Amino acid sequence: MADVAELLDRDAILTDCAAKDRLEAVGRAGDILARLGAVREGYSDAMVERELAFSSYLGEGVAIPHGTDESRALVERTALVYLRFPDGVDWDGQVVTVCIGIAARGDEHMAVLGGLARVLGDQERAAALRAATDPDEVLAILRGGVEA
Amino acid sequence: MPTIEGSEVRRIVVACEAGMGSSVMLTSSLNQRFASLDVTVSHLPVNRLKDGDADVVVCHRGLAKRAAQAAPSTPVIAFDLFLGDPAFDRLEAALKDGSTIGG
Repeated sequence: MADVAELLDRDAILTDCAAKDRLEAVGRAGDILARLGAVREGYSDAMVERELAFSSYLGEGVAIPHGTDESRALVERTALVYLRFPDGVDWDGQVVTVCIGIAARGDEHMAVLGGLARVLGDQERAAALRAATDPDEVLAILRGGVEA
Repeated sequence: MPTIEGSEVRRIVVACEAGMGSSVMLTSSLNQRFASLDVTVSHLPVNRLKDGDADVVVCHRGLAKRAAQAAPSTPVIAFDLFLGDPAFDRLEAALKDGSTIGG
Protein backbone atom coordinates (compact mmCIF):
# COMPACT_ATOMS: atom_id res chain seq x y z
CA MET A 1 0.00 0.00 0.00
CA ALA A 2 1.32 3.43 -0.97
CA ASP A 3 2.37 5.62 1.93
CA VAL A 4 0.68 9.02 2.15
CA ALA A 5 3.98 10.79 1.44
CA GLU A 6 4.44 8.89 -1.86
CA LEU A 7 1.30 10.56 -3.23
CA LEU A 8 1.36 13.81 -1.27
CA ASP A 9 4.75 15.45 -1.58
CA ARG A 10 5.79 17.45 1.47
CA ASP A 11 6.41 20.43 -0.86
CA ALA A 12 2.83 20.13 -2.16
CA ILE A 13 1.40 20.91 1.29
CA LEU A 14 0.73 24.66 1.48
CA THR A 15 -0.90 25.66 4.75
CA ASP A 16 -1.25 29.42 4.30
CA CYS A 17 -3.23 30.04 1.09
CA ALA A 18 -5.90 32.54 0.10
CA ALA A 19 -8.42 32.48 -2.76
CA LYS A 20 -11.38 34.70 -3.58
CA ASP A 21 -13.62 31.80 -4.57
CA ARG A 22 -13.65 28.03 -5.08
CA LEU A 23 -12.77 28.17 -8.77
CA GLU A 24 -9.61 30.12 -7.98
CA ALA A 25 -8.78 27.56 -5.29
CA VAL A 26 -9.36 24.64 -7.68
CA GLY A 27 -7.30 26.31 -10.42
CA ARG A 28 -4.49 26.84 -7.94
CA ALA A 29 -4.55 23.15 -6.98
CA GLY A 30 -4.41 22.22 -10.67
CA ASP A 31 -1.49 24.56 -11.32
CA ILE A 32 0.51 22.99 -8.51
CA LEU A 33 -0.22 19.49 -9.83
CA ALA A 34 1.12 20.69 -13.20
CA ARG A 35 4.21 22.19 -11.59
CA LEU A 36 4.87 18.87 -9.86
CA GLY A 37 4.81 17.20 -13.27
CA ALA A 38 1.84 15.04 -12.23
CA VAL A 39 -0.46 16.36 -14.98
CA ARG A 40 -0.19 17.88 -18.44
CA GLU A 41 -1.65 21.13 -19.68
CA GLY A 42 -5.44 21.18 -19.67
CA TYR A 43 -5.95 19.17 -16.50
CA SER A 44 -6.41 22.27 -14.36
CA ASP A 45 -9.20 23.44 -16.72
CA ALA A 46 -10.81 20.00 -16.44
CA MET A 47 -10.76 20.34 -12.65
CA VAL A 48 -12.60 23.66 -12.89
CA GLU A 49 -15.09 22.14 -15.37
CA ARG A 50 -15.76 19.23 -13.01
CA GLU A 51 -16.17 21.59 -10.05
CA LEU A 52 -18.74 23.66 -11.93
CA ALA A 53 -20.72 20.52 -12.82
CA PHE A 54 -20.71 19.09 -9.30
CA SER A 55 -19.29 20.49 -6.06
CA SER A 56 -16.40 18.49 -4.64
CA TYR A 57 -17.27 19.51 -1.08
CA LEU A 58 -16.98 16.49 1.23
CA GLY A 59 -17.89 17.83 4.66
CA GLU A 60 -16.02 19.06 7.77
CA GLY A 61 -14.61 22.02 5.82
CA VAL A 62 -12.84 19.82 3.25
CA ALA A 63 -13.19 19.67 -0.55
CA ILE A 64 -11.44 17.23 -2.91
CA PRO A 65 -11.44 18.69 -6.45
CA HIS A 66 -10.24 16.57 -9.38
CA GLY A 67 -10.58 16.32 -13.16
CA THR A 68 -13.15 14.62 -15.33
CA ASP A 69 -13.02 10.97 -16.42
CA GLU A 70 -11.95 12.18 -19.90
CA SER A 71 -9.05 14.23 -18.47
CA ARG A 72 -7.52 11.11 -16.88
CA ALA A 73 -5.41 10.83 -20.05
CA LEU A 74 -3.62 14.04 -18.98
CA VAL A 75 -2.45 12.51 -15.70
CA GLU A 76 1.22 11.44 -15.72
CA ARG A 77 1.17 9.99 -12.20
CA THR A 78 -1.29 9.80 -9.33
CA ALA A 79 -0.62 12.69 -6.96
CA LEU A 80 -2.29 14.91 -4.38
CA VAL A 81 -1.82 18.55 -3.38
CA TYR A 82 -2.95 20.02 -0.08
CA LEU A 83 -4.02 23.65 0.24
CA ARG A 84 -5.13 25.14 3.54
CA PHE A 85 -7.10 28.39 3.55
CA PRO A 86 -6.98 29.84 7.09
CA ASP A 87 -9.68 32.42 6.23
CA GLY A 88 -11.85 29.84 4.48
CA VAL A 89 -13.16 29.83 0.91
CA ASP A 90 -16.86 29.99 0.06
CA TRP A 91 -17.62 26.66 -1.61
CA ASP A 92 -21.09 26.92 -3.05
CA GLY A 93 -22.48 27.93 0.35
CA GLN A 94 -20.08 25.84 2.46
CA VAL A 95 -16.82 27.10 3.97
CA VAL A 96 -13.70 25.19 2.98
CA THR A 97 -10.51 25.31 5.00
CA VAL A 98 -8.76 22.35 3.40
CA CYS A 99 -8.73 21.67 -0.34
CA ILE A 100 -7.06 18.45 -1.48
CA GLY A 101 -6.53 18.42 -5.25
CA ILE A 102 -6.41 15.01 -6.90
CA ALA A 103 -4.82 13.73 -10.09
CA ALA A 104 -5.48 10.01 -10.48
CA ARG A 105 -4.50 7.45 -13.09
CA GLY A 106 -6.14 4.58 -11.18
CA ASP A 107 -7.03 3.78 -7.57
CA GLU A 108 -3.54 4.29 -6.11
CA HIS A 109 -4.90 6.93 -3.73
CA MET A 110 -7.82 4.87 -2.43
CA ALA A 111 -6.23 4.07 0.93
CA VAL A 112 -5.29 7.72 1.51
CA LEU A 113 -8.83 8.92 0.75
CA GLY A 114 -10.28 6.18 2.96
CA GLY A 115 -7.95 7.42 5.69
CA LEU A 116 -9.13 10.99 5.09
CA ALA A 117 -12.75 9.83 5.51
CA ARG A 118 -11.86 8.23 8.86
CA VAL A 119 -10.12 11.42 10.02
CA LEU A 120 -13.14 13.52 9.02
CA GLY A 121 -15.51 11.07 10.71
CA ASP A 122 -13.87 11.97 14.03
CA GLN A 123 -14.59 15.60 14.92
CA GLU A 124 -11.45 16.01 17.04
CA ARG A 125 -9.14 14.71 14.34
CA ALA A 126 -10.98 16.72 11.67
CA ALA A 127 -10.46 19.90 13.72
CA ALA A 128 -6.78 19.02 14.21
CA LEU A 129 -6.37 18.59 10.44
CA ARG A 130 -8.02 21.95 9.70
CA ALA A 131 -5.78 23.62 12.29
CA ALA A 132 -2.49 21.97 11.23
CA THR A 133 0.05 24.44 9.82
CA ASP A 134 3.08 22.13 9.70
CA PRO A 135 3.28 19.81 6.63
CA ASP A 136 4.69 17.02 8.79
CA GLU A 137 1.69 17.31 11.11
CA VAL A 138 -0.68 17.13 8.11
CA LEU A 139 1.10 13.97 6.90
CA ALA A 140 1.00 12.46 10.40
CA ILE A 141 -2.77 13.05 10.79
CA LEU A 142 -3.53 11.58 7.34
CA ARG A 143 -1.24 8.62 8.02
CA GLY A 144 -3.08 8.06 11.31
CA GLY A 145 -6.35 7.78 9.38
CA VAL A 146 -4.92 5.23 6.95
CA GLU A 147 -3.53 3.09 9.74
CA ALA A 148 -6.65 3.30 11.92
CA MET B 1 -37.88 0.67 -8.19
CA PRO B 2 -36.35 -2.83 -8.18
CA THR B 3 -35.60 -4.49 -4.85
CA ILE B 4 -33.19 -7.11 -3.49
CA GLU B 5 -32.90 -8.91 -0.17
CA GLY B 6 -29.91 -7.70 1.86
CA SER B 7 -28.78 -11.31 2.30
CA GLU B 8 -28.38 -11.71 -1.50
CA VAL B 9 -26.12 -8.69 -2.02
CA ARG B 10 -22.52 -9.56 -2.93
CA ARG B 11 -21.47 -6.69 -5.22
CA ILE B 12 -22.04 -3.00 -4.52
CA VAL B 13 -20.99 -0.37 -7.06
CA VAL B 14 -20.52 3.28 -6.17
CA ALA B 15 -21.57 5.14 -9.33
CA CYS B 16 -19.90 8.46 -9.92
CA GLU B 17 -19.05 11.10 -12.48
CA ALA B 18 -15.25 10.98 -12.75
CA GLY B 19 -14.16 8.15 -10.45
CA MET B 20 -11.24 10.04 -8.94
CA GLY B 21 -12.52 11.67 -5.76
CA SER B 22 -15.48 11.05 -3.52
CA SER B 23 -16.41 7.72 -5.11
CA VAL B 24 -12.89 6.40 -4.50
CA MET B 25 -13.11 7.59 -0.91
CA LEU B 26 -16.53 6.03 -0.42
CA THR B 27 -15.41 2.72 -1.97
CA SER B 28 -12.57 2.55 0.54
CA SER B 29 -14.81 3.49 3.48
CA LEU B 30 -17.59 1.04 2.59
CA ASN B 31 -15.15 -1.81 1.94
CA GLN B 32 -13.71 -1.27 5.40
CA ARG B 33 -17.15 -0.94 6.97
CA PHE B 34 -18.40 -4.16 5.33
CA ALA B 35 -15.13 -6.07 5.82
CA SER B 36 -16.81 -8.70 8.01
CA LEU B 37 -19.54 -9.30 5.40
CA ASP B 38 -19.31 -11.26 2.13
CA VAL B 39 -19.66 -8.07 0.08
CA THR B 40 -17.26 -6.26 -2.25
CA VAL B 41 -17.52 -2.58 -3.12
CA SER B 42 -16.08 -1.04 -6.30
CA HIS B 43 -16.72 2.18 -8.24
CA LEU B 44 -17.70 2.90 -11.83
CA PRO B 45 -18.53 6.04 -13.82
CA VAL B 46 -22.28 6.30 -14.27
CA ASN B 47 -21.93 6.50 -18.07
CA ARG B 48 -20.38 2.98 -18.08
CA LEU B 49 -22.86 1.50 -15.60
CA LYS B 50 -25.28 -1.20 -16.79
CA ASP B 51 -27.51 -3.91 -15.34
CA GLY B 52 -25.46 -6.86 -14.15
CA ASP B 53 -22.55 -4.76 -12.87
CA ALA B 54 -23.85 -4.74 -9.31
CA ASP B 55 -26.52 -6.12 -6.98
CA VAL B 56 -26.94 -2.63 -5.55
CA VAL B 57 -25.80 0.77 -6.85
CA VAL B 58 -24.92 3.57 -4.42
CA CYS B 59 -24.64 7.13 -5.71
CA HIS B 60 -25.07 10.78 -4.85
CA ARG B 61 -28.65 12.01 -5.20
CA GLY B 62 -27.56 14.27 -8.05
CA LEU B 63 -26.68 11.20 -10.14
CA ALA B 64 -29.44 8.86 -8.98
CA LYS B 65 -31.70 9.43 -11.97
CA ARG B 66 -28.91 8.70 -14.47
CA ALA B 67 -27.87 5.62 -12.50
CA ALA B 68 -31.45 4.30 -12.49
CA GLN B 69 -31.70 4.85 -16.26
CA ALA B 70 -28.33 3.15 -16.87
CA ALA B 71 -29.21 0.10 -14.74
CA PRO B 72 -33.03 -0.02 -14.64
CA SER B 73 -33.23 -3.47 -13.01
CA THR B 74 -30.77 -2.69 -10.22
CA PRO B 75 -31.78 -1.06 -6.92
CA VAL B 76 -30.19 2.40 -6.54
CA ILE B 77 -29.52 3.90 -3.11
CA ALA B 78 -29.10 7.69 -3.16
CA PHE B 79 -27.26 9.66 -0.50
CA ASP B 80 -26.83 13.40 0.15
CA LEU B 81 -23.73 13.48 2.37
CA PHE B 82 -20.39 11.88 1.59
CA LEU B 83 -19.65 11.63 5.29
CA GLY B 84 -22.11 10.09 7.71
CA ASP B 85 -25.23 9.88 5.55
CA PRO B 86 -27.94 7.74 7.26
CA ALA B 87 -28.40 5.89 3.93
CA PHE B 88 -25.12 4.05 4.65
CA ASP B 89 -26.39 3.00 8.10
CA ARG B 90 -29.62 1.68 6.55
CA LEU B 91 -27.63 -0.20 3.88
CA GLU B 92 -25.39 -1.79 6.50
CA ALA B 93 -28.41 -2.79 8.61
CA ALA B 94 -30.10 -4.39 5.56
CA LEU B 95 -26.93 -6.31 4.62
CA LYS B 96 -26.70 -7.63 8.17
CA ASP B 97 -30.33 -8.53 8.82
CA GLY B 98 -31.14 -9.51 5.23
CA SER B 99 -34.06 -7.10 4.87
CA THR B 100 -35.25 -5.64 1.57
CA ILE B 101 -33.22 -2.93 -0.18
CA GLY B 102 -34.84 -0.58 -2.70
CA GLY B 103 -38.47 -0.39 -3.71
